[in-house]
Amino acid sequence: MAVIPRGLNYKGIPLWRHTQVIQGALQVISALVAVSLVAWFFLNISGAIRDRDIPYGFSFLSREYQTPIGHHFLPYESSDSFLYAFGVAATNTLLVSIVGVILATALGIFVGVSRMSGNWIVSRAALVYIEFFRNVPLLVQLFFWFYIVLALPQVREGHVIAERIYINNSGISIPWPYAPNLDAGLLFIGLAAIAAFSGLTVHRALVRRETLTGVNSYPVALGISAFVLVAAAAWLFVSVAFGEAPFYVSTPEPQGTFGRPVGGFTAPGGLIALLVGLVIYTSSFIAEIVRAGIQSVGRGQSEAARSLGLPYMKTLRHVTFPQALRVIIPPLISQCLNLTKNSSLAAAIGYSDLTNVAVTMTQTAPAVSIFIMIMLAYLAMSLAYSLVGNVYNRLIRFV
Amino acid sequence: MSSPDTTLQKPVLPPPVIEQGALGWAHANLFSNRFNTTLTVISLAILGIVLWSSLRWLAFESDWTVIATLSGRLIMGPYNTESACPGQDCFWRPQAALLLVTMLLGMGWGIAGGGLTKRYAIGVVAVLAAFSLLPYGLDEMGMDVRLLLLANIPALALGWFLARHTGLGTARWLAILAVGTFVVTLVLLRGVEGIPGMQPVSVNHWGGLMLNLLLAVAGITLSFPLGVGLALGRRSRLPVVKLLCVLFIEIFRGVPLITLLFMSQTLVPLAFPKDFPVNSLMRAGIVITLFSAAYMAENIRGGLQALHRGQTEAAQSLGLKTWQSTMFITLPQAIRNVIPAIVGQFIALFKDTTLVFIIGMQDILTYSRAFIQGNPEFIASAQELFIFLALVFWIFTYSMSHISRRIEEHLGVGRR
Repeated sequence: MAVIPRGLNYKGIPLWRHTQVIQGALQVISALVAVSLVAWFFLNISGAIRDRDIPYGFSFLSREYQTPIGHHFLPYESSDSFLYAFGVAATNTLLVSIVGVILATALGIFVGVSRMSGNWIVSRAALVYIEFFRNVPLLVQLFFWFYIVLALPQVREGHVIAERIYINNSGISIPWPYAPNLDAGLLFIGLAAIAAFSGLTVHRALVRRETLTGVNSYPVALGISAFVLVAAAAWLFVSVAFGEAPFYVSTPEPQGTFGRPVGGFTAPGGLIALLVGLVIYTSSFIAEIVRAGIQSVGRGQSEAARSLGLPYMKTLRHVTFPQALRVIIPPLISQCLNLTKNSSLAAAIGYSDLTNVAVTMTQTAPAVSIFIMIMLAYLAMSLAYSLVGNVYNRLIRFV
Repeated sequence: MSSPDTTLQKPVLPPPVIEQGALGWAHANLFSNRFNTTLTVISLAILGIVLWSSLRWLAFESDWTVIATLSGRLIMGPYNTESACPGQDCFWRPQAALLLVTMLLGMGWGIAGGGLTKRYAIGVVAVLAAFSLLPYGLDEMGMDVRLLLLANIPALALGWFLARHTGLGTARWLAILAVGTFVVTLVLLRGVEGIPGMQPVSVNHWGGLMLNLLLAVAGITLSFPLGVGLALGRRSRLPVVKLLCVLFIEIFRGVPLITLLFMSQTLVPLAFPKDFPVNSLMRAGIVITLFSAAYMAENIRGGLQALHRGQTEAAQSLGLKTWQSTMFITLPQAIRNVIPAIVGQFIALFKDTTLVFIIGMQDILTYSRAFIQGNPEFIASAQELFIFLALVFWIFTYSMSHISRRIEEHLGVGRR
């Protein structure tokens, strides 16, 4: 340490040039500004609430919502409470987001790999796809798909495929499994999960055996058979235990004067447009992420694989892609979050997602409370995605 | 067996036909092996079907009269309608603002001395001039409108002349004049009480592409410095500053923009005193700016994190103060490294300006949608309209990413 020579008149660093003093003052000032700003807003809001008699608080949650929700995956009646209606809307958003994320990832990987293809036509087609869809606002695309569904023929003249699938301007109706007894259905789903797990275990064990001994063990075929066997046993068990099959297939059938299909699952036009738009838009971003990930893997890796005699698809699957995943996963998570947040554009095409229902709720409930609830709901979904993504990221990370 | 002599005397053969020219290219890129050939055939078949059906649609089924019907409304929205501008013609005001912008483009061309700026300047003015020659009847688009559009050519020339032959030809003057132009544009559009011809137009009547561009320009210019500040604050050693920045960034990133916009409609009027002058345009601008700044901050933070510590240490050992090393050493390099992400955010902001529909502003998309809903005879033309809008947006966003790639090349990112 250098010793600073101090003269007789040395009085130390002046206060206004002392680093610690400056830093402390800066912090105090910024904290004061932030706190006073928030306090000012709070005072204004509470003043407005008092003066204009605006409702506030969370007591409305147990009240009846008394407004229909256009489309819902969970059962819903107008007499249900605000809290339950909010949950129904959040479930809509969550399901759209999960289905959207899965489809967009699959499509994005496909387009991204096509972009890297050595085939000129495939690579150019992927480039055009990416450059067009990610540069056009999602809302324009949503409107486009929405009006395509609207331009379909009316219910009575709609397309019918094999008397099971109905396509018309109010949406698409398809056959859908239906559980007459909820307990039986849930039990079977649980057992099916176990069946899937056992299938995966068999697959993994056989792959291990094949790798270690070189004996051909047919891991995929045997894994699938294990899954089918256990699932069939579960189906039999549940059928015998409850006296009826856990699931039936409910087929849509035209009813009433308009011939509107009832039964099965009907996806309204808003939902179709939302999913198609979100999946195509997000997949163009994911394709770019996949491309960057594949490019980040050294060229030597794929060249080595090719000189070992691995064909193109196997090189991609066993050598390039596993290494690219490390680069792909973090931005992929943020794209999944974007998809979830972008699903709020459903409000524009009349699909009842979280934001749309919440906006409607503000007409009969305090806006401040609704806003806090929306924030918490989206925050919870973001955290869930980040958690899943980070856990997966840790699993595939290089040690 | 042949002796070495005869081998040497054999003529040098040209490479096989299949490895030369177009045939060689096709062989290498389309038919190199069985898998590749199959891919080529399948994709050609799919492309053929897609192209054939779109061409058939374009030639026989599509009906673009909806674009012609909307025409100027797409650009202005309800700005020049009777309810916005009673008893007057307000169309000249946005056009005058456009002339100023063209002049700035000309100045940019003069300063840059050619290249990309020149091409974009000439391209923009060529498109504007082409508009003035559209074959409409004079009642649809008056002579004054056509002349004002054509005036963009001399405006461009004037800007070029100012930059080349007066003292205004520096980047600093260009920036000052750009800010001035923005303010003048706002005043022109808003109007001033008491001046003839400058009748005030409520911001609720601003619309069309003009509104998207205004919001985008304001949002981009304001969110960039704000994002830099937030990124620096998030990396600050001062815990309170850091906490505040993290809170701001995460709250704004956690909620969809559309929700924030809607809440700005219901909450902001409560959060400010009653007589606080804030209209829907300002609210939209502020919310979009703050939202974009939060994302911008994360991009720039990424650039700062990727920077080697040695840069700061070298700056410190040269005796630079903290702010000097930030402003002159770290920040320029960090920003240069994340140009694609920053421009990507600019593009996202421009695309997000379409979300103002939730607060009832009539941007190009909302206005078109409302038009379709209000005029059921055009509902069959909805596809044509939205394809046209997609192309309009695409031209802007693709130009932005094109310019950013050229800037990157110019700055030598990845090479030095």
